[in-house]
Amino acid sequence: MSSALKILNVAKCVKTLCSSVSNKFLSSSLLNRMQSQQQQNVLTALSALNTRTFHSTSPRQDLMEFFDDPKNWSENEVKVGRAWKLEELRIKSNKELHQLWYILLKERNMLLTMEHECNDKMELFPSPERLDKVKISMGNLETVVRERNKAYHLLETGITGERPTRMVHNPLGLRHLYRSCEHVLPPHMNVKWIKSRDIGFGGRAVRKFLLLYREKLYNIKRKAKNRSRNEVMMLLRRNPNIDVQVLRSKYPNVDIDKLLRDDKTRGHFVPKVGV
Amino acid sequence: MRLTQFVCSKLKNFSNFPKEYIERSKKQVYWKTPSGVPNYLQRTVERKRFRYTTNRPWTGQFRQQNMPGTIRKKVFVTPVEEWSFFRGDRIEVLVGKDKGKQGIVTQVIPERNWVIVEGLNWHYRTVGGEEGFPGVLIKSESPLDVTKDVRLVDPSDLQGTDFEWRYTEEGEKVRVSARSGRIIPIPETNNQTHDFKTPNAYIEREKDTPGAVVGEITFQPKLATFEMDIMEEMGIVEERTPKKSYWY
Repeated sequence: MSSALKILNVAKCVKTLCSSVSNKFLSSSLLNRMQSQQQQNVLTALSALNTRTFHSTSPRQDLMEFFDDPKNWSENEVKVGRAWKLEELRIKSNKELHQLWYILLKERNMLLTMEHECNDKMELFPSPERLDKVKISMGNLETVVRERNKAYHLLETGITGERPTRMVHNPLGLRHLYRSCEHVLPPHMNVKWIKSRDIGFGGRAVRKFLLLYREKLYNIKRKAKNRSRNEVMMLLRRNPNIDVQVLRSKYPNVDIDKLLRDDKTRGHFVPKVGV
Repeated sequence: MRLTQFVCSKLKNFSNFPKEYIERSKKQVYWKTPSGVPNYLQRTVERKRFRYTTNRPWTGQFRQQNMPGTIRKKVFVTPVEEWSFFRGDRIEVLVGKDKGKQGIVTQVIPERNWVIVEGLNWHYRTVGGEEGFPGVLIKSESPLDVTKDVRLVDPSDLQGTDFEWRYTEEGEKVRVSARSGRIIPIPETNNQTHDFKTPNAYIEREKDTPGAVVGEITFQPKLATFEMDIMEEMGIVEERTPKKSYWY
């Protein structure tokens, strides 16, 4: 902050100097040039103040920006903080989010380059969780931007402004989420699109396919149910003093009372009689 | 209620790694359909069941114990309602050669219901043995099962005790000794991570944004989308009118 103030003071001095000098003998063109220069000074100072809040490397603008600091190359671990959370990004202005996006993007490029280079040279890539932290931050930032845009569109137009989607049947008669596309022609004039959509489903082959497909889905469900029942059975067999309430909450689809009566849940030991 | 209780366990992640990283590092994808090709249904063949041991999922030892293509016998882990043993807890061992002794929990492995207790339940292990060299004996602590091998110690009389989770008047969830009714506090060690002992003691690194800057509120509500605001900021004026288009 002090440096910014200093620059502002310098700018003020320059301005007063300019005015005093221009009054005497300088031409107006030179004055304009100097004033614009002075304005630029302030602007750069302000932008420096804004960008300084986030970490950004000094612009080198060469290929080495794709690589990490050389002193981290031989490290086993590079310690960094955590990813940006949603609630931290929500209080940031659009401008700052825009800046942060490019800082994160540069960092991600750097990390991916380093990972590739380390794999290439058979070296250890230190702290690979940095990549995940950057990705989480970028995802959260996108979420925040989308929230803001959605709020604007809902307020102004009543719709979210997101890409429209709807559930449609595909040629096999299965429902799937169709993500709409942007077209130049309206749908009733777009013959090509109408023809591409006009795929009826039916016929013996499709019916047979659907039958088998549904059987497959049913089998997945049935096997999952059997698996969880067997798991409960094995737990009861191994651990007769297990807390049944916890089991019930963990496996709500399994009939535990029925299993407890079953002989299979009895462990391989002599049961206590008359207790 | 029960579900939220299960999700909001008070156990802190010591490694401080994001979940995504842990998932990514243990992933073993054998085959995946190429994405963006419509004639394939999306399928991924990958390892679903992992054997969790004292080696953590992001380490090479974990991968060695779960080598791709191998199948290991299923381990049945007794479900626990809420995790109740934390790093730094004083506990009493109920089994083994150190039965009746008390120690401090140094490591927690909830995937297997395990705790590792400092200096208890240990055995010798030979490491670095090769031809011509017998190796070195090191002391290594075996894990203990929280459902049957250990119990908490009451801080009032330093005797092992059963406990239950209860709520205080302030609505805080605490462990209460069944014998003396005294609260067994969760030790501060539980909040320690690999990166810092306490969040305040964290040393900010070169690329970290300072805490004061993170907390600063710079957002000003404005009737504009993100793009409109940035364009205004950068002095970009859009003069073209878009052609009419249809979304369907």
